[in-house]
Order: sequence, then C-alpha cells, then structure tokens
Amino acid sequence: MWKYTLKRLIQGIITVWFIATATFLAMHNVPGDPLSGQRATNAAIRANLEAKYGLDKPLTEQYFIYIGNLLQGDFGISFTQQNRQVNDIIREHFPVSATLGILAVIFAALGGVLWGALTALYRNRLPDTIIMFLVILGISVPSFVFAALGQLTLVNLNALFGISLLPVAGWGTVSHMLLPALVLGMGTMAYLTRLMRSSMLEIIHSDYVRTAKAKGLPAARIFTRHQLRNAILPVITVLGPAIAAITTGGFVVELVFAIPGLGRYFVQAVQQLDYTVIMGTTVFYGAFLVFMVIVVDLLYGWIDPRVRLQ
Amino acid sequence: MNPPLLEVSNLQVEFDTYGGTVKAVRGVDFTVEEGRTLAIVGESGCGKSVTVQALMGLIPMPPGRIMGGSAKLRGIEILGRKTVEGREVRGAEIGMIFQDPMSSLNPTMTIGDQIAEPLQVHRGYSHRQAMARAVELLELVRIPEAARRAAQYPFEFSGGMLQRAMIAMAISCKPTLLIADEPTTALDVTIQAQILDLLKDLQAETGMAIILITHDLGVVARMADAVAVMYAGKVVEAGSVDDVFYRSSHPYTLGLKQAMPTNKRDAVQKLMPIEGSPPDLFAPPVGCGYCPRCPHAMSVCATQPPLPIPVADAHYARCWLHHAQAPHSVPGIYYGDGHD
Repeated sequence: MWKYTLKRLIQGIITVWFIATATFLAMHNVPGDPLSGQRATNAAIRANLEAKYGLDKPLTEQYFIYIGNLLQGDFGISFTQQNRQVNDIIREHFPVSATLGILAVIFAALGGVLWGALTALYRNRLPDTIIMFLVILGISVPSFVFAALGQLTLVNLNALFGISLLPVAGWGTVSHMLLPALVLGMGTMAYLTRLMRSSMLEIIHSDYVRTAKAKGLPAARIFTRHQLRNAILPVITVLGPAIAAITTGGFVVELVFAIPGLGRYFVQAVQQLDYTVIMGTTVFYGAFLVFMVIVVDLLYGWIDPRVRLQ
Repeated sequence: MNPPLLEVSNLQVEFDTYGGTVKAVRGVDFTVEEGRTLAIVGESGCGKSVTVQALMGLIPMPPGRIMGGSAKLRGIEILGRKTVEGREVRGAEIGMIFQDPMSSLNPTMTIGDQIAEPLQVHRGYSHRQAMARAVELLELVRIPEAARRAAQYPFEFSGGMLQRAMIAMAISCKPTLLIADEPTTALDVTIQAQILDLLKDLQAETGMAIILITHDLGVVARMADAVAVMYAGKVVEAGSVDDVFYRSSHPYTLGLKQAMPTNKRDAVQKLMPIEGSPPDLFAPPVGCGYCPRCPHAMSVCATQPPLPIPVADAHYARCWLHHAQAPHSVPGIYYGDGHD
C-alpha cells in the first residue's frame, strides 16, 4: 500500500509539472500580452514594464525563473490587480471554492449512492420511475437554471413564511452554503445515481448475493454487507473526475450566488491575459485535482482489497 | 414410522420471460433420507437447479413462480416459509453450495468473516466466537494455515480452496441437509475428487444428508445412495444408485449410460449420443417429454404423460414401456425381477 501511494504521488508530481509547462507555453503563445491595454502608452514605458516583469528575457529563461519560483511556492504578482500576489488571491478565495466544491461532492456522492441503491431495489416500480425521471432532468438541465430556480423558490418561500429561511445569495455561514452546494452537486448526483443503479442491479443478481441469501441472512444485512460495498466501487472510480468537474465548474454557480470564490478571478485573468494569475490558478487547480484523484484512488484501495493487496 | 428428512412432491415452478412462460419444473417428487445422499442427474436446463433453488427460496419472484407442490422437512412444510419450529431453514437447517466458487463469495469480505456470518445470524455468536469457529471450520475442510487464511480475501484463494471455504460456510450451523448444486463442475478433475472425498468425510462425521446435483454420472456412482434422473422438468427414473445404474428402467437413463465415455481397454462399443435436443419448455409436450428422442417410443407416448410405474421396491420409472399392455422386449431396459 505504501509503495502504491508513493508511486501515485510521484506520478502526480509529474502530472503537475506537465500542467505547469503546458500552461506556460500556451500563455506565451497567445497573441497579445498583459501590457497591451492602456498601461503601456508608448514604447519606452512598455520596454520598462517588460523589463520590470522580466518579459523581455528569452522564453527559456522566463520558463526557468517561473519553475524556480513555483518550486518555492511563489506564483508571482498579478499583472492587472494592484499589489496583489497570486498566492494571496488563492489563499483568500480558494477556501471558499473548496468548501463549496467539497460540500457539493459529498452531497452528490451520498445522494447518488442512496437514490441509486433505492431505484435498483425498487426496479421498475413507482419509486424507480419517479427518481429516474428526476435523474434525467438533473443531467440535462444546466446548473445556472437550477441556480436561478433555486433562488426564486427561496425568495418565494422566504416571503411566504415572512422570515429568511436561507439567504438567497452571499457567503459566510453554513446556511449560505446549502443551496449553492445543492445546485452545484445536482448534475453529478444525477449522474452518480444512474451509475449506482446499474451497478447495484448487477450486484443484486450476482452469485455471491445468492450465496448470502442461501446463508439465510436478513435482507438488511445482505444490503449493507454484500451489496452496497461492492456496488459502490464504480461510483468511487468516477468520483475523482467528478470532483474535478465540480470544483472547476463552480464558476457559474459562484457568480449567480455572489460567492467570492476563485472561479471569478480565474475567468477574469483569462480575459485580461494576466499571465501569473492564469498560470498560478491553473497549476494550483491542477495540483488540487491530481491530489483529489490520488485520494480517491487510495479510498478505492481501502474499499476493494483486490486493489490494496495486488 | 418417521417421515423422511425431506419429501418433495409435485413441485412446479414457472418463469415469466419475454418469450412466454417457461415451465421449468413440472411436478417433481423425491425423498431424501436422513444422512443419505441423493443425486439429481440430468442435462442442462432439465430443472435440477431450479428445483433445489425453490426449496431454498432462492427463486427470484418475479419472474419466477412456484405453482404448486410441497416440500416437507421432517414432515413440516418449508416451501415459501423461512423457519421450521423457530429454526431458520436457509443456512441453518439446509446449507447450500454452488457451482462456481470463484463468483459465489463476496470479493470485498474476508473468508473468515463470510464463514462467521451465519453463526452470528443464526446462532447468536459474538464476532470473536464466530471467527474462532470459522478458523476451526476451515481446518475441518482441510485448509492449511487456517488462521492466516481466514483473514484473506476470496481473490487470494484458488478455486478448490474457495469451494472448501464455501463448504465450511454451508456447514457452519450444522445443517441436517446440504444441497450441492454442481459443486465440482467449475473445478479441474483432481480437485473434483478432493472436494467429493471431503463431502463424503464430512457426511460421515456430521451425519448430514446431501442432495448432489450433477450431470456427471461418474460423480453419481462415487457419491450417491439414491438417484433421481430428471428430464424436461420431471423425474423420469428414481431408485437406489445400483437400481438406476445396473437395472435402468427408463430409455433416457439408458441413453445417458451409453453416452458416457469409458476407459475400459476392451471396450468395443462406440459412444452413443442421444439424438435430438430436449423439448421446448415454453410449450411442454403433452405426452412424455422424452418421446421425440426415444428410440422405443410408442403411439401412447406422444399423447399421454406417463405415470410413475414401480419396477421394484423404491425404484420407479415414468415410462409407458412398463405398462402392462406394453411389449416387454426392449433390450437393456430392466422390467423388474418378476418379468422375463
């Protein structure tokens, strides 16, 4: 297990290095640069600014400076925002995005497993039909529609009861997080429900569940001990990419709910060609996702002994 | 006189499928005596597995349906019931092992835990007690280093070892009857012999009865006290192993015997396959199911289902050849001692 963990970590570091290099090269190949706005009004000022930010140096030298800084955990200074270090932007806004994302993932995973198992047990009966209808809805409707509908519903509910049940937007307390997390996790939950359902249906008809029945075990024990754990494996597998989709896809939901997450800065930086912010946030997001995928893989090993021991 | 350990009569099972209703078991009768082995023989799809799964309540319903009949354990009905006099039928009174040990064990649970489970559920053992007993059971089925093995997972076991573990699990609550549904089909020949020997030894030690389902006549000869030959959802011949083997009274049994390869040096006879294929159980034949393939079929066979006709004590055949009006001239068929 330790060897496996170490191997995955080394692979992860290589992946992050690759992301960093690819981002660097891609950024410097985009037409225009961060100084092409109103800031560099004439050639002299432009040259001065380029010298200040090191943009006049050859690309390879810039690359090594960049990687060197990266190794020290320094993502540099924003080109467009005054006196803001990329590290500060990440430090301030990433925890918000991460909290929202993790909450959404937990919500999606728990919901997906629960609904999926339920639909499989009630296959082709009313609960199955209703849930599977909602699942199709959850997969096909984009998150900003859910976000807007969720807000509208909340406004009406608050008005109906005359008190603020949950805040409609903003950030700060747990009650601020609930609705955005629900909206953000909705699509993934629907997807996981479908996955869990088909996996569970397969397990229900497996030989070892028949064995468990032949042993005379009560249905509840068969469900928890023999069905759930085996059925959950495919769900765990896609949880890594699901975390990726949720944390990076949180931008829209953050915008609708006025949540000060990292997504907004990420998109802004791309529009303004803010090299350091783009590279910093991309590498950081990349590293975060690689790390989450490793965590998920280790979790998989913990649940499935075949992965752990071979 | 005490009732036999298990008495199954007129058991009928159907399955709904997209193609229609399959009448998989069409009135099966057999008895199992205390401490004895009954072999149920027949080709694929003849209903042998469905019969025992019905006894264990393992038929998925829907699409399956038990249409009638009874199965009495020591005189008490068990079809559709879970307990007999407070004792759980499945796992406690009747243990069961299956064809493919590789897929019949939960891949994410240790062997020890899986063997311990019935003890915890039926006997109220604590986890620690049950695990200790599981190690003893593994020793009983002759798995070396049982304590270490109990902590392992199924993928760390070989096929033969897994079947041993299955047996340990099935006998953990000391059942009076063990149902073995083709226990050696998925194993290679040397392992087959070991598993069969193990079953025999365990039977001698515990006194449990065994229902052995197989299509291997060699296994039957080695293991069984009594035999029931099934064809197209019915028992066509039943009797003691010697009766069925040496005094076969049904053309199907005879056909099976002739289709069996032999390793005798002086064998001159060719292997004789049974021509044709079993009847379509979506629309079961009106008369005898074997009629279209039977070399001795008479006109009555196509229209009237044969009744069980006794040829000797505890030996009967469902075949019109044994009727008083039928000609007693088919070579190889045993007509009972009273006949010439």
